[in-house]
Amino acid sequence: MTTTFEILTTGDVIDGPSFAVSRESIRLFCDASLDYNPLHLDDDYMKGNFGKTNFGGIIMHGMNNFGLISRMLTDWAYPAGAIHRRLETRWVKPVKPGDVIQPTGIIKSKQVTQNSRWVLIDVMVKNQAGDKVATGEAMVEFPN
Amino acid sequence: MAKVSSEGAEPFETDFWKDANVRKVWDDIVPGEPRKTIPYTLTREAIELYCKSVGEDHPIYFDEAYAKTTRYGGLIAPPSIHILLMFSCTPADDWMRSPGTVNAGQSWSYNIPARPNDVITLQARALDKFIKRERLFVVHDNVFFNQRGEVICSGRGWTIRPV
Repeated sequence: MTTTFEILTTGDVIDGPSFAVSRESIRLFCDASLDYNPLHLDDDYMKGNFGKTNFGGIIMHGMNNFGLISRMLTDWAYPAGAIHRRLETRWVKPVKPGDVIQPTGIIKSKQVTQNSRWVLIDVMVKNQAGDKVATGEAMVEFPN
Repeated sequence: MAKVSSEGAEPFETDFWKDANVRKVWDDIVPGEPRKTIPYTLTREAIELYCKSVGEDHPIYFDEAYAKTTRYGGLIAPPSIHILLMFSCTPADDWMRSPGTVNAGQSWSYNIPARPNDVITLQARALDKFIKRERLFVVHDNVFFNQRGEVICSGRGWTIRPV
């Protein structure tokens, strides 16, 4: 059934794509984003401490989470004639090669403004252990 | 490490250590002061590579005939293309490239899509800096424009600076 503003209800779930993280996927994201920070490339560098944190090896770009959440939102919005308007995220836990992550959205509320209609969505990314690695909020517009 | 080059652009230095000593550290960053930025021509190839990296497969990014039938009237880039634009629109000595910069979170608002062959410009600055739990934070804000001066998207990010 096509999603419409009218039928959406608080608690409705949007399932995002599963994504297998590997050294190759992280390297590809370096090439695609031009973010070659050694956090994502250099195992020796990552053996060191970052303040009180030690990651123990390279980690995935936080913005890879962001890109996956964005992909989930647009793939959900396009068929409904809706527009992805805003995404805010925080990284909760590092993601490492071998992890499998998946974004999810949960409809939080709907709002009608003077000229349009909006759906607010709680978003999160979980790893294979069910741990949250990213959380945030999104806003999708359903034009009149 | 190799340099990545794209058509018509200076090669992109992928060794982020190379210019590390000329980048501003937390102490030098002045909130409110504009960052140096450079215009960037967004190619279809760059969009497709970005799409591949996050598994984007919607035809609106790849299939021109399909894209023409949509509200956008042609190919577009995914909204999150600003992830690439942040690095393609800033020079090698930009402090966003300091090795060890940790991204703590970002928020972005989307106005119109970026499209293949758009010449994209960035207005950016640090907006705030603070210390929390012994970590050095900088808040940065950014607005991307197309060649007609239209806002593509605007966003804010929180980074933890290397000590």
